[in-house]
Amino acid sequence: MIPLQLKIDPLPIVEPLVVRLVLNPSIKSPSDAILVARGDGTADFDVGGFSLRVHTNDPASLDGDVVLVIPGRRTLHRLIRASSPHNTLLITEQCDQLCVMCSQPPKQYHTDMFDQFLDAVRLAPVDATIGLSGGEPLLHKKRLFEFLVKAQNHRPDLRFHILTNGQHLLAEDEAHLRYLDMTSILWGIPIYAAEGEIHDRIVGKVGAFSILQENLARLGRTGAAIELRTVVMQSNIDHLERLGEYITLNQPFAQVWAIMQLENIGYARMNWTKEFSDTSLSFEGVSQAINISLGKGLATALYNFPLCSVPEAYRRYCVASISDWKQKFLATCENCSLKSKCTGFFEWYPEERGFKKIIAQ
Amino acid sequence: MNKKFLIPSLLAAGFGATSTEAAPPSKFVIADNTKTSLFALFRQQHTYTLAAHRSHSSHGSHSSHRSSSGGGYSAPRAAPSPLYTAPSNRNSTSTPPSSVLPSPPAAAARTLPGNSGAFQRIAMQVQTALLSYGYYSGAIDGVIGAGSKSALSRFQADYGLSVTGTITPEVLDAFGIVAN
Repeated sequence: MIPLQLKIDPLPIVEPLVVRLVLNPSIKSPSDAILVARGDGTADFDVGGFSLRVHTNDPASLDGDVVLVIPGRRTLHRLIRASSPHNTLLITEQCDQLCVMCSQPPKQYHTDMFDQFLDAVRLAPVDATIGLSGGEPLLHKKRLFEFLVKAQNHRPDLRFHILTNGQHLLAEDEAHLRYLDMTSILWGIPIYAAEGEIHDRIVGKVGAFSILQENLARLGRTGAAIELRTVVMQSNIDHLERLGEYITLNQPFAQVWAIMQLENIGYARMNWTKEFSDTSLSFEGVSQAINISLGKGLATALYNFPLCSVPEAYRRYCVASISDWKQKFLATCENCSLKSKCTGFFEWYPEERGFKKIIAQ
Repeated sequence: MNKKFLIPSLLAAGFGATSTEAAPPSKFVIADNTKTSLFALFRQQHTYTLAAHRSHSSHGSHSSHRSSSGGGYSAPRAAPSPLYTAPSNRNSTSTPPSSVLPSPPAAAARTLPGNSGAFQRIAMQVQTALLSYGYYSGAIDGVIGAGSKSALSRFQADYGLSVTGTITPEVLDAFGIVAN
């Protein structure tokens, strides 16, 4: 697992500090902390004349990373890893839904980090895609829109992937949305079934489906690119075909439909036995859905499906979607010829309770 | 705020006698020879629980997200790109060539916002100490420029500390500069 936090020695800061760690400065930026010394398991980066001493054996792996240091904490957070395509900023941990498979169960309190996030994205690598996630980011939509406007103004090359439950847009927000460059934002929005009661039950909120429908239309009207996301579970596997029909018929603004396997963390860990659907044994629910959506011309992708668990004809739709820092492979995968193309498994994947049919190809 | 950074030892180290708190650097030479880490003995608690800081408690939350399911989500960040190709019809005139980004000052974040005060105060204490020990002859301005860096490097080399040219915890310890 790639560490997202590293131990540091104390630094006399009074406010959260965002800097970019740099090994060899080409153009000197005041926000760059340049490597000045390596010790035994440590590396010193120069922050305004002070040593930011990071405990690491591999300072080169941090080159270009945008990091956050909190006063009084001896931890450095790698907000944006330069070497990774998987960078996500956690906007908030608050959420108004309570999904049965939530990987990031909501918390009550919120800390506004938008200023730090803005500093961070300004230092991001060229053409980076930054994920904005939660919790539900749109619970803080005023600040989120401000952040996006400023970020796009400073860095028009960046792209954002916003994961939202689509519950918090009002008519008055359309003006804000129109102010954004919608061509560089992909809105990832979950939808679990075409039947309102099934969707509502999965997300733990009565009426969620009907609000979602309104807001998908609202986003569509403002030119948003929408990625609909459906996690496959026992609760909805038998309804996926119908969902495919619904999406292709009623959601013309969907650019892509992502059908996703379950991640065993958060509530999904708790509900694993109840909800994990072993698609390596029975892929029919998924294949029926894909047949419909592809047949009607909607780009469809399979996220988090190990290649060997998917019938050969459908493997081309699999995406290596598991983020680098939490991806692993099993002993079985050692000699698999498809390993380099495969998404692998989540770090916390429970082999004994997972897919029954995992076979090296 | 200033009171948060007591340097009881500094004047002592620089201008005379009462050396108990000073942990004068000369002892560190001895420490190196005897192998017992006197250094550890003199190591001070740089807790840096500084002034009013509103988001201090924040990061319980932040850390949890990174360490647990982290970026949260299985969100396939890479996945959408091949499928969704954003038309690039916007703003093409004002978009700087990507080779220039993101380093130019315009794209740079604020320089140590809010932290410069604290940094400057400690840096001035360090400069004063370096001056007292004869390593530094520049201005006591709290700005760690080339002169200060060179002084720090020479001091660190002489006293067996790792040579970084920056203010390290060991330098603060050596001068007995306390920041709590």
